[in-house]
Amino acid sequence: MSNTAFGILRSGYVARDTFVHRLDGRTKFLFFLWISLFNYIFYDLYVTIVSFALVMFLAFVARIQRFATTVLVIIVLPIVLLGLGIIGGPFGFVHNKTAIAAVQVFGYTVGIYLEGTVYVSVWTSRLAVTITAALLAYVTTHPSDLAAIMLKSRLPYKFAYAFLATIQLIPILTNEITTIYQAQVSRGLNVQAKLIDRFKSIIVLMIPLTLGAINQTQIRAIALESRGFSAPVKKVMLRDPKLKASDYAFISLMAAMTCVFIYLIWTRGLVPFMVGIEYVRPGG
Amino acid sequence: MTSAKGTKPTTVERPAGFAILQIVLIPVIAALNYVTGVIVNILKLPLFLDTWATMFGTIVAGLWVGAAGGFLYNIIMAFTLWGLPAWVWGFINIYIAIITWVFWRIGWVSVKSPVKLVAAGIIVGVTNVIPVTAISWGVFGLMPTYAGTAPIYAAVLASTGDILTASVVSSIVAEIPDKLISLILAAVVASRMPARFTLRPPKA
Repeated sequence: MSNTAFGILRSGYVARDTFVHRLDGRTKFLFFLWISLFNYIFYDLYVTIVSFALVMFLAFVARIQRFATTVLVIIVLPIVLLGLGIIGGPFGFVHNKTAIAAVQVFGYTVGIYLEGTVYVSVWTSRLAVTITAALLAYVTTHPSDLAAIMLKSRLPYKFAYAFLATIQLIPILTNEITTIYQAQVSRGLNVQAKLIDRFKSIIVLMIPLTLGAINQTQIRAIALESRGFSAPVKKVMLRDPKLKASDYAFISLMAAMTCVFIYLIWTRGLVPFMVGIEYVRPGG
Repeated sequence: MTSAKGTKPTTVERPAGFAILQIVLIPVIAALNYVTGVIVNILKLPLFLDTWATMFGTIVAGLWVGAAGGFLYNIIMAFTLWGLPAWVWGFINIYIAIITWVFWRIGWVSVKSPVKLVAAGIIVGVTNVIPVTAISWGVFGLMPTYAGTAPIYAAVLASTGDILTASVVSSIVAEIPDKLISLILAAVVASRMPARFTLRPPKA
C-alpha cells in the first residue's frame, strides 16, 4: 500500500480543467461527508452500488479514474477477498443459511453463503464509496484552496499549517529514508535477514531519520517566525475561493437527495430495496 | 525574535519559544508515522508500527504534541486513502499518547529499565484492543482486514461462530507485539536524542 499511498500523497493535486475541479473545495468535502454518512446509515447493497457508480462516474469526469481504481484494488480488494473467504465461506458466520454454492467434503458442507456474502459486500462497498469520495475531494482541490477553506471554516491557522505541512513533509521524509536506507545497505544492512535482525534494523533507519527531522523543525520554526507565524494579527490568504452557481446547484441536489433518503428510511427502513435479506448488525 | 527599530530589518535568531517548536513538530510526528509504513514495507515486517511516532512525540515533547501528531496522521489518511470513517482511528492515537504519557510520568518508558518498558508495551497492546474493536465494529463491521491475522480470525470464528470474539482475538495477536515494539522503538530513539534538541520547555 505504501508505494501507492506515497504516490498519491506526493502528487496530491491532479491539475485538470473539469467540472469537478471547478467546484469549490467546500462543495466537494460536503459531498464526501454526505455520501459517506448515508452509505453507513443504509444497509442495502443496491444503495451502495448506486453510490459507488456515482462516485466512479465523478472520478471519470475528473479524469482520476485510474488513480481511484488503483487505490481501491490495493486497499479494498484484499478486504473483499478476506471477508468473502471467511465470513461468506464455511467458517461459521451465524447468519449464513442460504448456500449460493456448496459441496460435500468428508461429510462437511463447504460453500459460499448469501447472507455472509451480502454482509461483506455491503461493508466493503461502503469503504469503496467513502475512499473514492475522499480521493475525489482531495486530488481535485488545489492545496492553497484547501488552506483557504480551512481558514474560512474557522479552523485555527495552526491546524491548517499542520495539515498542509504534513502533506509536504511525507515525500521529503520518504526521500530521506531512501537515502538513509541506501547508506545503511552500503554499510552492511541486510533486509533479507531473520525477522529479529530486521526488527533491529528499524532502529538504525529510524534514529538518523528522526534526528534529521527534529533538526529541521528548529530551522522550520525560525523560518515560520520570520514570516510572522505567531504574530497576533489577522492572517490573509493568497486565494479566496467562492461558491459559484454550479456549487449551489450541486448542494441543492444533495439537499433534495437527503429528503429522498429520509423519506426512504421513514417508509421502508434501513434496507429499502434488498428483498429477503435481513438487517445484520456488526457482530450479529 | 530580535526586533531592531529604525534602519535595521527584523532578524530572527531563534524561535520565540517552545510553543512554535511544538507546533512544527506535530506534522513531523504525523509524517514519521506515515514513513514508518515505508520502512515496514522495505523490511517486510509483519506489523504496522504506525503509532511509534505518536509515542515518541509524547515522550520528547509532551502529551498534546504526541496526541495531535497522531490524530493528524489519521486525519490525513482518512481524507486521502482510507476514506472518511477511518478518521476515528485517530482516537487510538490519542489513547496511545495518553497511556504513553502516563507510563512516561511514572518512569516506565525508559531504556534504563527494560522490564518496566516491556511491561508497559504489553499493557498498551492489551488495553488498545478495546478501542480497536470498537472502531472495527463501527467502520469495518468486524470483518477481517489484515491478512496477517486472518487465519487466526478464521480459526476462532470456526470454533465459536462469533465474529466479535474472532475480531478481539485477532486484534490481541496483532496489537501486543505491534505496540510493544513501537514503544521500545520510541524509547530507544528518544534516548538517543541530543540534549540540544530538547522540545520541552524548561521547568520554572
